[in-house]
Amino acid sequence: MKHAKRTLSLLIIFSVLFLAGCQNKAPETKGTEEKKQYSIGIVQLAQHEALDAATKGFMDVLNEKFPDQVVFDVQNASGDTTNCTTIVNGFVSKKVDLIMANATPALQAAASATDTIPILGTSVTHYAPALDIEEWTGTVGTNISGTSDLADLKQQAAMIPEWFPDAKTVSLFYCSSEANSAFQVEEVEKHLAELGLETKRFSFTDTNDVASVALAACKESDVIYIPTDNTAASNAEAIANVILPEKVPAIAGEIGLCKGCGIATLTISYEDIGRATGEMAYKILTGEAKVEEMPIEYAPNFEKYYNPTICEQLGITPLEGYKPFED
Amino acid sequence: MDFVLTFLGTLPGAITQGLIWGLMAMGVYVTFRVLSVSDLTVDGTLATGGAVCVILIRAGAPVGAAILIAFLTGLLCGLSTAFLHTKWGIPVILAGILTQIALYSVNLRVMASKANASISVDKYSLLISQRYVRETSLRNPLYFLVIFTVLVIGLLYWYFGTESGSALRATGANPRMARAQGINTDFQITLGLMIANGMVALAGALLAQYQGFADVNMGRGAIVIGLAAVIIGEVLTQKFFINFALKLLAVSIGSIVYFLVLQLVLQLGLNTNDLKLISALIVAVFLAVPHFSKRMKMNQNKGGEKNA
Repeated sequence: MKHAKRTLSLLIIFSVLFLAGCQNKAPETKGTEEKKQYSIGIVQLAQHEALDAATKGFMDVLNEKFPDQVVFDVQNASGDTTNCTTIVNGFVSKKVDLIMANATPALQAAASATDTIPILGTSVTHYAPALDIEEWTGTVGTNISGTSDLADLKQQAAMIPEWFPDAKTVSLFYCSSEANSAFQVEEVEKHLAELGLETKRFSFTDTNDVASVALAACKESDVIYIPTDNTAASNAEAIANVILPEKVPAIAGEIGLCKGCGIATLTISYEDIGRATGEMAYKILTGEAKVEEMPIEYAPNFEKYYNPTICEQLGITPLEGYKPFED
Repeated sequence: MDFVLTFLGTLPGAITQGLIWGLMAMGVYVTFRVLSVSDLTVDGTLATGGAVCVILIRAGAPVGAAILIAFLTGLLCGLSTAFLHTKWGIPVILAGILTQIALYSVNLRVMASKANASISVDKYSLLISQRYVRETSLRNPLYFLVIFTVLVIGLLYWYFGTESGSALRATGANPRMARAQGINTDFQITLGLMIANGMVALAGALLAQYQGFADVNMGRGAIVIGLAAVIIGEVLTQKFFINFALKLLAVSIGSIVYFLVLQLVLQLGLNTNDLKLISALIVAVFLAVPHFSKRMKMNQNKGGEKNA
């Protein structure tokens, strides 16, 4: 009997709490203060140099434009997609003014959580597959917009014959658990085929098999292409340790990867796209633009870099127009 | 006050997430507690369930059918682990890991070599979606999940009372004794692993709909959440939940508590780089409770003897 009572009271507490949660919907009436306060929730998929840079760029812009007016709630899902859902649930309950979703699963979790709070994505390569949109017009058209980290893949493909005119076969090396990598590889494959180069895909799973797959890729090709791929970037040193002794050069999709194991890259800056996302957020918060009408924005500029150490190691003379990067 | 209101506002979402993972954790309960084996297949199975469900719905299958097929696929995952264990003599923990690794590639194949497949509630009439978790209308996923959880508990309770279910429990309790009674323990282990993984795949299918996508990484660390739910539920309710159906309910409650604590931790604004450490601590504390309460009792008893 006592037990039944305890169970019952537990149930009652839970249901009361839940009802209170449901009723927590009443719109807040904001006073017309001189300086409006904004709250922004940032959900980032994992700890990663590129994603960190995008978040930093985003916050920098808003701190410049709205000094002391923005409260950021920065949450990192530590690589677990389930945590994205939990984090976004908190943001929606808190009724933040805007959600910034850094990386594809973060954007998807935010998109299923709300269709009213404006969501800006960044570090997402392609919005159509990420949000399951069939006819892509460049604008999502709902409460979602943002920036893409898509590099100029045609230009990147063209770098291969430019740097290595004798190359015949190219290995496309990427991580199979990265949503965006397969898409980039598909595109680059097409461009390389147009340039008359043979391609072969080599996908690895994680840190454990990256070295063996890299070795296989070296054996089969003259040049390796690695797209913008977070896992590959995290494993850049391990890749370098395999491909440099094999004397196979790599063209990289972004600068982090190029610093670790590449010869050259045509890169975007994640801080730049973060900043561009911040500008978009500013327009939405001030009411200057509506998120429904904002097209996805791309990196404002691409930069050409080469890796002086690796070029020297492999005896490759850097092409003109490429800058060595500064550390 | 704002803090409390915000936390109350997160409750429907956290409870829903808890209920979905509770179904997964019941699968873990079947192997971990009923069958007394540690099955690590589930990290792969959860993603398989999600992937199969999303791909089928996108191909135009009715949602119910997609979920059912995800469940059946989960049975096959369990069968694979069971086969490696009972026919090839591989220890069950390794057999589970092997299937789990293999499933990574299978899941990529299912999703047409993409790591992530999305499914939008705006385009398909999904059974549950996070979008409606704060509404009071019938499409709030909570109603469905509460009813579904009760149904699943009822079904499992009924099954484990039948002859076949009793044989499964006997196999977990004492395999030698079970064999002496003429029970084919290999068959029972196979059945248990299949049921468990079927439930996990089912939870994966619901989870993918709830969060709007399936991802090859979505099962990463699932076993930890499942075990956490089982153990938190046991610690919180062991004194007054004796009946088997209530024990299953305790798993669901444990899972809800896990997500509530996680939500609270996130809301407290702790550095999210410490998230994994915090998750591990939550589980460790709950794991330690039975140990310490036992020691305290023993000390009390000793004290009693001295006084006597």
